[in-house]
Amino acid sequence: MDKLTVSPSPHLHSKASTTSIMRDVVIALSPTILVSILFYGWSEILVLAVSSVSCVLLEWLIAKYLMKRPELFSGWSALVTGLLLAMNLPSSTPWWIVVVGAIVAIGIAKMSFGGLGQNIFNPAITARVFLLISFPVQMTNWSVPDGFIGGVDAVSGATPLGIIKEGLKAGQSISEVLSANGMDARMLLRDIGGSGGEISALALVAGFIYLLVRKVVKPWIPISIIATIAVISAIFSGIDPEHFTGPNFNIMTGGVLLGALFMATDYVTSPMSNWGGVIFGVGIGLIVMMIRYFGSYPEGMSFAILIMNCFVPLINRAFHQKKYGRA
Amino acid sequence: MSKLGLITKGLLKENPTFVLVLGMCPTLATTTSAMNGLEMGLATMFVLILSNIVISLISPVVPDKVHIPVYIVVIATFVTVLQLLMQAFVPQVYETLGLFIPLIVVNCIVLGRAEAFASKNSVGDSALDGIGIGIGFTLTLMVIGIVREILGSGSVFGWKFIAGDGILAFVMAPGAFLVLGYLMVLFNKLAKR
Amino acid sequence: MAAVSNLKNMVLSLTLVCLVCSAVLGGVFAVTSAPIKAAEVAKTNASIARVLPAFDSEPVRESISVDGTDYAYYRVPGAGYAVISTVSGFGGPLSLMVGIQEDGMICNTVVLSHSETPGLGAKCQTDASFIDQFKGWDPASKRLAVTKDGGDVDAITASTITSRAYSAAIANAYSVYLIIAGNE
Repeated sequence: MDKLTVSPSPHLHSKASTTSIMRDVVIALSPTILVSILFYGWSEILVLAVSSVSCVLLEWLIAKYLMKRPELFSGWSALVTGLLLAMNLPSSTPWWIVVVGAIVAIGIAKMSFGGLGQNIFNPAITARVFLLISFPVQMTNWSVPDGFIGGVDAVSGATPLGIIKEGLKAGQSISEVLSANGMDARMLLRDIGGSGGEISALALVAGFIYLLVRKVVKPWIPISIIATIAVISAIFSGIDPEHFTGPNFNIMTGGVLLGALFMATDYVTSPMSNWGGVIFGVGIGLIVMMIRYFGSYPEGMSFAILIMNCFVPLINRAFHQKKYGRA
Repeated sequence: MSKLGLITKGLLKENPTFVLVLGMCPTLATTTSAMNGLEMGLATMFVLILSNIVISLISPVVPDKVHIPVYIVVIATFVTVLQLLMQAFVPQVYETLGLFIPLIVVNCIVLGRAEAFASKNSVGDSALDGIGIGIGFTLTLMVIGIVREILGSGSVFGWKFIAGDGILAFVMAPGAFLVLGYLMVLFNKLAKR
Repeated sequence: MAAVSNLKNMVLSLTLVCLVCSAVLGGVFAVTSAPIKAAEVAKTNASIARVLPAFDSEPVRESISVDGTDYAYYRVPGAGYAVISTVSGFGGPLSLMVGIQEDGMICNTVVLSHSETPGLGAKCQTDASFIDQFKGWDPASKRLAVTKDGGDVDAITASTITSRAYSAAIANAYSVYLIIAGNE
């Protein structure tokens, strides 16, 4: 064996360490899950349950019967994929679409590559993008928050990003879009409809801080993503505020926080070194803003993460981790 | 090799799509439905058989240094003939396959068979080789088309068995790659037995 | 097996092959050019027949320039006009043929080409409840705009931009019709 083999993370020292990391991720996700259940009610619980059960069950079935290597079943990691997938879906998603998503996440994005640690693309994001292009109507009709703390009837609506995009495409300016839809800039940030995981920035940040304290993740990837988005949108909205949305709006809406804090930081599909992580994050920020400003989709976080996932092996080659025993 | 073997090798041992992995561009782009896959396969087979026959006839007298240009001119001629015939007699089919008919000229299968087989073998064997590879290509494209149509549109050869849309990703580019990949795995696993 | 190359036989063989191939192509073209033309005419007539009431006259292709844009249309004596109108949709150009009867009512519309998203905007070609609402539409009394913009067109679910483009294409065709009809 080559003594200087650099293997991509996660470095599996023992089964216990991966398990404890994944358990920490589940704990970190719990405030977000709680908030999404409070906001979206029973439908969100159904999505969560279907997603986690089918992800765990599928991984076990594939490892045991299809690949005949039961040791590949990763347990907690499959549960994390299931929870993240649920957080990425609208609460109104029919159960069978959630199952299709689980098949894509576990079957195609994870197990086809050889299971945990081998996959190039983030399984939950892959499933989200697959579902987005496969079931565009169901995946873009987000429910307006309605759950245990709202009490109004469920209404379907577009996300703030979608509303702005549609208005801009029709040649309106941002202030015209806002007045046409009867809202002001502050309401746009408050009444956000979206997937379960996109609803509460506070819960996401709280969970992420827990991960930081437990030293499970490093902050460089999220910081560079959010800083890039802030800088780009500040420049564009500074030049032409009527056609480009500003930093606050771009950071707080859509999947940016969920993506930056929990999806882009996935161990397997992000670069190992700190500087590699910064390059990765800046790339994601750039692509998101290009899609949001110039693309035809209103949101680009999932696409951005997937595109940068492809570059991770390359980034890892360019930024070797510091080797031990060197000055 | 026996005459029958020349035909059957295109199905399994030298399957152009799953084993030789040639002609990926039309394979990925035109297999959105079973019918499209079948039509594209037949169109390619037409060019393949005729160019194989002509090239095996002329290859002994073609100078070595210009053999590729000569082969390409022959192939391009048959593709253009096919294009004109399709425009005239099956305009609907021509419209669905569109750009991919002229692209048969650069399909690696056609030039590949001309180089690797027709230029070294007799006219009869070359024709059989064209038929065999052509059938293999057609069947493979049709199978990919059937799978993509079932998953993507919920129908087989245009006969719908569910209301509404299927999993739309399968009629788009990503579905083409996924179906091709998994079918290739399945094919090679079964072929190994 | 292949002959040894020298300048003479290379030039000779290439010339010969090209000559033979050109002759073959010329022959095939001569045979197929009439059926190709017939197939094209049949295709256009089929589109016209879908958007206009039954006719027995020969459609005449004409074109007109309105506000700097050229519109092609078919005048079908006894039935009306089939106007081709192209607008920018969600994913690219959206081209419609709009059949307008001689009394100014819209008879039917058909999509000639589009590049809308499958499952969303692409439904403008298949969604019967969307397409059929334009049959017998009277532009003089009903506004050709989606309900969101204060018009009378029911948009395709989650595809407001495509529905807007579709409505605009019909409205353009109608304004072209008004000019054609006004000129006569």
